[in-house]
Amino acid sequence: MKRDISFSARSRRREVLMGLLFILPWILGLLIFTLYPVVASFILSFTRTGEGSAIKWVGLDNYITAFREPDFFRAILNTLILSLIGIPVAQIMSLVAALLLNVKMKFQGVFRTIFFLPSVVPAVATGLLWKWILNPRLGPINTFLDSIGLAGPGWLADPAWVKPSLIIMSFWGIGGTMVIYLAGLQNIPTEYYEAAKLDGAGSWACLKYITMPMLRPVTLFNTIMAIITSFQSFSNIIIMLDMDGGMKKAGLVYGLYIYTNAFRDFKMGYSSALAWILLAFTFVSVMLTYKFFNRSGDQEVS
Amino acid sequence: MRKMILVLLIMSVAVISFCAKEVVFWNAWGGDEGKALDSIIDRYNKSQSKVYVRSVYVPIGMGEKIMTTLSGSTTPDVITVWDWMVVPLGYRGQIVPMNDRLAKAGITSSDYIKGVWEYGTYKGKKYGLPTTLNVSAFMWNKNAFKEVGLNPDVPPKTIKELDEFTDKLNKYDKKGALKRLGFDPVISHIYCYVFGGQLWDPATNEITANHQKNIEAYEWLSSYYKKVDLQKKRIFQAGWGDLFSSLNPFLRGEIAMKEGSQWEILIAKKYGKSTFDYGISNFPAPQGGRNDVCNVSGSFWVIPTASKNQDEAFEFLTWLTADKQAAEFAAALYNIPPKIKSLEDNAFKTIVDDKMKIYIDMLMNGYVYTFPMLPIGQAYLTELTQALMDVQLGNKTAKEALDYVQERINQELKNYK
Repeated sequence: MKRDISFSARSRRREVLMGLLFILPWILGLLIFTLYPVVASFILSFTRTGEGSAIKWVGLDNYITAFREPDFFRAILNTLILSLIGIPVAQIMSLVAALLLNVKMKFQGVFRTIFFLPSVVPAVATGLLWKWILNPRLGPINTFLDSIGLAGPGWLADPAWVKPSLIIMSFWGIGGTMVIYLAGLQNIPTEYYEAAKLDGAGSWACLKYITMPMLRPVTLFNTIMAIITSFQSFSNIIIMLDMDGGMKKAGLVYGLYIYTNAFRDFKMGYSSALAWILLAFTFVSVMLTYKFFNRSGDQEVS
Repeated sequence: MRKMILVLLIMSVAVISFCAKEVVFWNAWGGDEGKALDSIIDRYNKSQSKVYVRSVYVPIGMGEKIMTTLSGSTTPDVITVWDWMVVPLGYRGQIVPMNDRLAKAGITSSDYIKGVWEYGTYKGKKYGLPTTLNVSAFMWNKNAFKEVGLNPDVPPKTIKELDEFTDKLNKYDKKGALKRLGFDPVISHIYCYVFGGQLWDPATNEITANHQKNIEAYEWLSSYYKKVDLQKKRIFQAGWGDLFSSLNPFLRGEIAMKEGSQWEILIAKKYGKSTFDYGISNFPAPQGGRNDVCNVSGSFWVIPTASKNQDEAFEFLTWLTADKQAAEFAAALYNIPPKIKSLEDNAFKTIVDDKMKIYIDMLMNGYVYTFPMLPIGQAYLTELTQALMDVQLGNKTAKEALDYVQERINQELKNYK
């Protein structure tokens, strides 16, 4: 026995070493490509590049500047509007889609695939596609409206319609959330429904008192993910609009604002500061969502 | 015999790799233009054995690739950037000023077309060499002129005439949707200069966004848009096709008058219908304005500070921008070479027709200006564009909008002093 212990200790150490060796590439990747940029951007956010590559330490100046910039507030406001309207509606839509696709029927798998497919399309392709769909003169939506005698809106060509256009486009990507809702639905034991039915509950009561509470953790997860994605939205917007977020900067979202400052105006320090403000902002929003879900829930369902 | 060839081949490769310094060149042209540039570079590689230039096609795009590569320690030796990137990059020390090297090489302002030497220069430091020039002129569709009963050979000379012509040329369908836009001003700062204003005062080194004449130009531009319903125009515009195709709205007669660059001559030749006829002239100007305004834009060749072969890179650039090569490359792009002697070179003369002559004449004898080169990138241009939109939508008066730009950009520029 004694011999075994010393042997196993040595082999344990060897095992750990081997393990570390195997995950070394990943650790290196994490350190070099994730941790280093994160730390670097934090340091950069306190600097400004002056004349002749001199990096000046400006303290909190970049952070203070942000709160004086009209575009900063415009970007936050735009992002908030898109999120506050887009996220709840997208959640409801994906839940409805999930409920419908949870019904046992023929070709269930096919329908599920069809609903999920759009979220496989890369953001850039989605942007290009929607730019065309929403084309006020040649796009299919306005062509259809025209054929039934309605004048379609200017969509992206009209500052008032830019945000609705972007929200409508975001529904294109509900497939991801829908799949998670579907998985959540399948985890609800059928006995609950059977019991409820015996007590005379209708399908609305089932939805309200069984499905929704049982899905609470899934909804929380989906909402938080949606907040994070929505705050970072960028690729399809830059494809559909321009660097300034289109007419009247109506689509200037926060991600776009960071990008233009970094790569068009070459203000790396300032845009790093913006990125950290976004992190703080996301953190607060997620915490609020968490609180909201916990408080409004009767009891946490695990 | 085969062995001999192999040995020779290996030796030659060895010779090249040991003796020649490799200069990595990021060029920004694909297609035929890229081929033309590569064949010019080939000639350079064969003409000497000291430097081997490796040309890599990297489209400029926005600044992310350029910024990323310049931040590293191994950069290409020559890169191609947009004109507005030159000063921001130079100011931040990421590309080198060329003044000393240019002086040593005996290249002076007199080699260049008047006004072009200062292009890409900030506080006396010259950060790059223009690749070729892009010039804007006034273009009009003669077919459309005939259709509405205007003399197709006489463009508008004054702003008043331009307004009258525009009214005649705007065309709507039964439902009231635009079928043809009479006039499409895109580069709004051209009209600031046309009205006699300026965006920048070279004497005081100050921006002059709210110059009285700029305000007048903005007032006119927005009154123009009040005539054409902005909403209708945007919807019409959304259906325009790619400029570099037969769907080009000017070639299709969807725009009657506009600003047009010299490369559009080539586009019209390639994609225009045989019946399509158009004219080119100076911009119409109001009383007291400038009737010879010539806006120049383009791209630049610059040398990164981190390049380890700066001397070789500069030597190559000197060769590439020499009169003959500049002429050849400009001809391939249907642009105008920035040097005076290149204009006379046979390689360029092959593309000079009556239309191109008008551009060259504007460039040589006109009021040449470039958008002010400031370390703040495109922020000034963006603010000017947004200001115009505010005026068009009636949110602000021209004066309010431009005062705001003036204040905001000056505020921003304070960080760069």
